[in-house]
Amino acid sequence: MSINLLHRHVLDDHISGFETDTNPNHLSIIRRPVIFSVLAHESRETAVAEALWNAEDVAPRFCSPSEWLAVSRTVGAGMVADMLSGIAGASFVDQSDGRVLVEISGPSVRAILAKCVAIDLHPEVFEEGHSAAMLCCHAEANVARTGADRFEIIVPRSLAGSVFEELMEMGREHALTRGFVD
Amino acid sequence: MASLITCPHCGTRPKEEFSIRGAAAPKRPSPTAKDEAWHVYVYVRDNPKGRYQEYWHHVAGCRRFLVVERDNLTHEVFGVTDAAEFERAGADE
Repeated sequence: MSINLLHRHVLDDHISGFETDTNPNHLSIIRRPVIFSVLAHESRETAVAEALWNAEDVAPRFCSPSEWLAVSRTVGAGMVADMLSGIAGASFVDQSDGRVLVEISGPSVRAILAKCVAIDLHPEVFEEGHSAAMLCCHAEANVARTGADRFEIIVPRSLAGSVFEELMEMGREHALTRGFVD
Repeated sequence: MASLITCPHCGTRPKEEFSIRGAAAPKRPSPTAKDEAWHVYVYVRDNPKGRYQEYWHHVAGCRRFLVVERDNLTHEVFGVTDAAEFERAGADE
Protein backbone atom coordinates (compact mmCIF):
# COMPACT_ATOMS: atom_id res chain seq x y z
CA MET A 1 0.00 0.00 0.00
CA SER A 2 1.41 3.34 -0.93
CA ILE A 3 0.89 6.48 1.06
CA ASN A 4 0.16 9.72 -0.72
CA LEU A 5 1.85 12.59 1.05
CA LEU A 6 -0.11 15.76 0.45
CA HIS A 7 1.18 19.22 1.14
CA ARG A 8 -1.07 20.86 3.69
CA HIS A 9 -0.48 24.41 4.78
CA VAL A 10 -0.46 24.96 8.54
CA LEU A 11 -3.23 27.56 8.16
CA ASP A 12 -5.53 25.22 6.20
CA ASP A 13 -7.30 24.36 9.44
CA HIS A 14 -7.90 28.02 10.22
CA ILE A 15 -9.70 28.78 6.99
CA SER A 16 -13.08 27.20 6.62
CA GLY A 17 -16.29 28.01 4.78
CA PHE A 18 -16.69 29.54 1.37
CA GLU A 19 -14.13 31.73 -0.27
CA THR A 20 -15.80 35.06 -0.83
CA ASP A 21 -14.71 37.90 -3.05
CA THR A 22 -11.72 39.76 -1.72
CA ASN A 23 -12.23 43.15 -0.12
CA PRO A 24 -9.78 46.04 -0.56
CA ASN A 25 -8.21 45.00 2.75
CA HIS A 26 -6.97 41.51 2.16
CA LEU A 27 -4.67 39.01 3.82
CA SER A 28 -3.01 36.60 1.39
CA ILE A 29 -1.35 33.46 2.67
CA ILE A 30 1.43 32.40 0.33
CA ARG A 31 1.08 28.65 0.04
CA ARG A 32 4.64 27.61 -0.75
CA PRO A 33 7.18 30.41 -0.35
CA VAL A 34 10.91 29.79 -0.32
CA ILE A 35 12.51 31.19 2.82
CA PHE A 36 16.20 30.77 3.60
CA SER A 37 17.96 31.98 6.71
CA VAL A 38 21.33 33.52 5.81
CA LEU A 39 24.13 34.20 8.28
CA ALA A 40 27.31 36.12 7.48
CA HIS A 41 30.66 35.01 8.83
CA GLU A 42 32.52 37.45 11.02
CA SER A 43 33.72 40.59 9.19
CA ARG A 44 31.93 39.52 5.97
CA GLU A 45 28.64 41.22 6.91
CA THR A 46 28.68 44.10 4.43
CA ALA A 47 29.79 41.95 1.49
CA VAL A 48 27.05 39.38 2.13
CA ALA A 49 24.41 42.09 2.57
CA GLU A 50 25.45 43.68 -0.71
CA ALA A 51 25.31 40.36 -2.56
CA LEU A 52 21.85 39.63 -1.13
CA TRP A 53 20.49 43.03 -2.12
CA ASN A 54 21.83 42.63 -5.65
CA ALA A 55 20.44 39.11 -6.08
CA GLU A 56 17.68 38.55 -8.61
CA ASP A 57 14.41 36.77 -7.77
CA VAL A 58 15.19 36.94 -4.05
CA ALA A 59 13.93 39.51 -1.56
CA PRO A 60 16.29 39.97 1.41
CA ARG A 61 14.78 40.64 4.84
CA PHE A 62 16.89 42.22 7.54
CA CYS A 63 16.97 40.37 10.90
CA SER A 64 20.20 41.52 12.54
CA PRO A 65 23.58 42.92 11.41
CA SER A 66 24.75 39.45 10.38
CA GLU A 67 21.48 37.66 9.68
CA TRP A 68 18.90 37.91 6.93
CA LEU A 69 16.04 35.97 5.46
CA ALA A 70 16.09 35.39 1.72
CA VAL A 71 12.50 35.14 0.47
CA SER A 72 11.33 34.14 -2.96
CA ARG A 73 7.84 33.63 -4.33
CA THR A 74 8.92 32.99 -7.90
CA VAL A 75 11.81 30.52 -7.96
CA GLY A 76 12.33 27.16 -6.28
CA ALA A 77 14.44 26.30 -3.26
CA GLY A 78 17.13 24.69 -5.42
CA MET A 79 17.77 27.86 -7.39
CA VAL A 80 17.89 30.01 -4.26
CA ALA A 81 20.33 27.56 -2.63
CA ASP A 82 22.52 27.68 -5.75
CA MET A 83 22.52 31.46 -5.69
CA LEU A 84 23.32 31.60 -1.95
CA SER A 85 26.15 29.09 -2.21
CA GLY A 86 27.81 31.50 -4.62
CA ILE A 87 28.09 34.18 -1.92
CA ALA A 88 31.46 34.02 -0.16
CA GLY A 89 31.32 34.17 3.63
CA ALA A 90 27.65 33.22 3.99
CA SER A 91 26.03 30.21 5.61
CA PHE A 92 22.40 29.43 4.87
CA VAL A 93 19.68 26.96 5.70
CA ASP A 94 16.28 26.29 4.13
CA GLN A 95 13.51 27.38 6.49
CA SER A 96 10.62 27.26 4.03
CA ASP A 97 8.73 24.65 6.06
CA GLY A 98 9.42 26.36 9.36
CA ARG A 99 8.12 29.80 8.48
CA VAL A 100 4.81 31.09 7.25
CA LEU A 101 4.61 34.05 4.90
CA VAL A 102 1.49 36.22 4.78
CA GLU A 103 0.91 39.43 2.89
CA ILE A 104 -1.51 42.06 4.12
CA SER A 105 -2.58 44.90 1.86
CA GLY A 106 -5.25 47.53 1.52
CA PRO A 107 -6.04 51.14 2.40
CA SER A 108 -6.51 50.40 6.14
CA VAL A 109 -3.43 48.22 6.51
CA ARG A 110 -1.61 50.65 8.78
CA ALA A 111 -4.63 51.00 11.07
CA ILE A 112 -4.79 47.21 11.35
CA LEU A 113 -1.07 46.73 11.93
CA ALA A 114 -1.01 49.55 14.49
CA LYS A 115 -2.86 47.15 16.78
CA CYS A 116 -0.38 44.33 16.11
CA VAL A 117 3.10 45.86 16.17
CA ALA A 118 4.55 48.47 18.51
CA ILE A 119 6.70 50.36 16.03
CA ASP A 120 6.06 53.38 13.85
CA LEU A 121 4.97 52.31 10.36
CA HIS A 122 4.81 55.81 8.90
CA PRO A 123 6.27 55.69 5.36
CA GLU A 124 8.96 58.21 6.32
CA VAL A 125 10.15 55.99 9.18
CA PHE A 126 9.44 52.52 7.84
CA GLU A 127 10.10 53.00 4.15
CA GLU A 128 9.17 50.82 1.23
CA GLY A 129 11.68 47.97 1.01
CA HIS A 130 12.45 48.25 4.72
CA SER A 131 12.23 45.13 6.88
CA ALA A 132 12.90 44.33 10.53
CA ALA A 133 12.37 41.70 13.18
CA MET A 134 9.75 42.73 15.74
CA LEU A 135 6.93 41.49 17.90
CA CYS A 136 3.73 41.08 15.90
CA CYS A 137 0.70 39.95 17.92
CA HIS A 138 3.13 38.89 20.71
CA ALA A 139 5.02 36.58 18.33
CA GLU A 140 8.47 37.16 16.92
CA ALA A 141 7.99 38.14 13.32
CA ASN A 142 9.81 39.72 10.43
CA VAL A 143 7.76 42.54 8.94
CA ALA A 144 8.64 44.12 5.59
CA ARG A 145 7.01 46.92 3.67
CA THR A 146 6.72 45.85 0.04
CA GLY A 147 4.47 48.66 -1.14
CA ALA A 148 2.80 51.85 0.06
CA ASP A 149 -0.08 49.86 1.59
CA ARG A 150 1.38 46.39 1.51
CA PHE A 151 3.32 44.46 4.14
CA GLU A 152 4.78 40.98 4.29
CA ILE A 153 4.90 39.19 7.64
CA ILE A 154 7.00 36.08 8.28
CA VAL A 155 6.23 34.16 11.47
CA PRO A 156 7.40 30.80 12.82
CA ARG A 157 5.12 28.00 11.72
CA SER A 158 4.07 27.04 15.25
CA LEU A 159 2.88 30.59 15.98
CA ALA A 160 1.22 31.19 12.61
CA GLY A 161 -2.24 30.08 13.75
CA SER A 162 -2.45 32.49 16.64
CA VAL A 163 -0.94 35.37 14.65
CA PHE A 164 -3.39 34.70 11.81
CA GLU A 165 -6.40 34.65 14.14
CA GLU A 166 -5.29 37.87 15.79
CA LEU A 167 -4.64 39.64 12.47
CA MET A 168 -8.13 38.67 11.30
CA GLU A 169 -9.63 39.89 14.58
CA MET A 170 -7.83 43.23 14.28
CA GLY A 171 -8.93 43.53 10.66
CA ARG A 172 -12.57 42.76 11.35
CA GLU A 173 -13.65 46.39 11.65
CA HIS A 174 -11.95 47.04 8.29
CA ALA A 175 -13.65 44.03 6.62
CA LEU A 176 -10.36 42.19 6.16
CA THR A 177 -10.73 39.09 3.98
CA ARG A 178 -8.28 36.21 3.69
CA GLY A 179 -7.30 33.53 1.24
CA PHE A 180 -4.49 31.39 -0.10
CA VAL A 181 -2.44 32.35 -3.12
CA ASP A 182 -0.24 29.90 -4.96
CA MET B 1 11.36 51.62 33.72
CA ALA B 2 12.61 53.16 30.51
CA SER B 3 9.93 52.14 28.05
CA LEU B 4 11.44 53.06 24.69
CA ILE B 5 14.91 51.80 23.79
CA THR B 6 16.63 52.90 20.60
CA CYS B 7 18.39 49.77 19.39
CA PRO B 8 21.41 50.64 17.21
CA HIS B 9 20.31 47.98 14.71
CA CYS B 10 16.49 48.09 14.81
CA GLY B 11 15.54 51.61 15.82
CA THR B 12 13.15 52.67 18.58
CA ARG B 13 11.50 49.68 20.20
CA PRO B 14 9.27 49.06 23.23
CA LYS B 15 10.87 47.50 26.31
CA GLU B 16 8.69 44.38 25.92
CA GLU B 17 11.02 43.23 23.14
CA PHE B 18 13.99 43.09 25.51
CA SER B 19 15.20 40.91 28.33
CA ILE B 20 17.33 42.58 31.01
CA ARG B 21 20.43 40.57 31.84
CA GLY B 22 22.03 42.51 34.68
CA ALA B 23 24.76 45.05 35.33
CA ALA B 24 27.33 45.59 32.60
CA ALA B 25 29.99 47.25 34.74
CA PRO B 26 31.54 44.19 36.50
CA LYS B 27 34.57 42.91 34.61
CA ARG B 28 34.96 39.15 34.29
CA PRO B 29 38.10 38.02 36.16
CA SER B 30 40.68 35.80 34.49
CA PRO B 31 40.05 32.02 34.82
CA THR B 32 42.99 31.73 37.21
CA ALA B 33 41.82 34.54 39.50
CA LYS B 34 41.28 33.84 43.18
CA ASP B 35 37.97 32.49 44.43
CA GLU B 36 37.34 35.79 46.20
CA ALA B 37 37.49 37.67 42.89
CA TRP B 38 35.07 35.19 41.32
CA HIS B 39 32.76 35.39 44.33
CA VAL B 40 32.64 39.16 43.98
CA TYR B 41 32.06 38.94 40.23
CA VAL B 42 29.26 36.38 40.48
CA TYR B 43 27.41 37.41 43.64
CA VAL B 44 28.28 40.87 44.87
CA ARG B 45 26.40 43.69 43.22
CA ASP B 46 25.93 47.36 43.94
CA ASN B 47 22.37 48.56 44.03
CA PRO B 48 22.88 52.05 42.67
CA LYS B 49 20.32 54.77 42.43
CA GLY B 50 20.82 56.84 39.31
CA ARG B 51 22.98 56.27 36.28
CA TYR B 52 23.45 52.60 35.55
CA GLN B 53 24.84 50.38 32.76
CA GLU B 54 22.97 47.18 32.03
CA TYR B 55 23.02 44.35 29.50
CA TRP B 56 19.77 44.19 27.56
CA HIS B 57 19.14 41.31 25.17
CA HIS B 58 17.00 42.30 22.19
CA VAL B 59 15.15 39.00 22.19
CA ALA B 60 12.34 39.87 19.81
CA GLY B 61 14.42 41.93 17.42
CA CYS B 62 18.00 41.54 16.27
CA ARG B 63 18.84 39.12 19.13
CA ARG B 64 21.99 41.09 19.92
CA PHE B 65 23.19 41.94 23.41
CA LEU B 66 23.11 45.68 24.00
CA VAL B 67 24.48 47.85 26.77
CA VAL B 68 21.87 50.37 27.87
CA GLU B 69 23.02 53.27 30.01
CA ARG B 70 20.02 54.62 31.87
CA ASP B 71 18.95 56.36 35.02
CA ASN B 72 16.88 54.03 37.15
CA LEU B 73 15.40 56.98 39.03
CA THR B 74 14.31 59.31 36.23
CA HIS B 75 13.99 56.59 33.54
CA GLU B 76 16.13 58.65 31.19
CA VAL B 77 18.12 56.63 28.64
CA PHE B 78 21.57 58.09 27.92
CA GLY B 79 22.82 55.70 25.29
CA VAL B 80 22.54 52.26 23.78
CA THR B 81 25.52 50.43 22.28
CA ASP B 82 26.05 46.95 20.94
CA ALA B 83 27.70 44.81 23.63
CA ALA B 84 30.48 43.78 21.21
CA GLU B 85 31.40 47.44 20.68
CA PHE B 86 31.15 48.05 24.43
CA GLU B 87 33.63 45.22 25.06
CA ARG B 88 35.99 46.54 22.40
CA ALA B 89 35.83 50.06 23.82
CA GLY B 90 36.52 48.65 27.30
CA ALA B 91 39.49 46.62 26.03
CA ASP B 92 41.03 49.69 24.40
CA GLU B 93 41.09 51.65 27.67
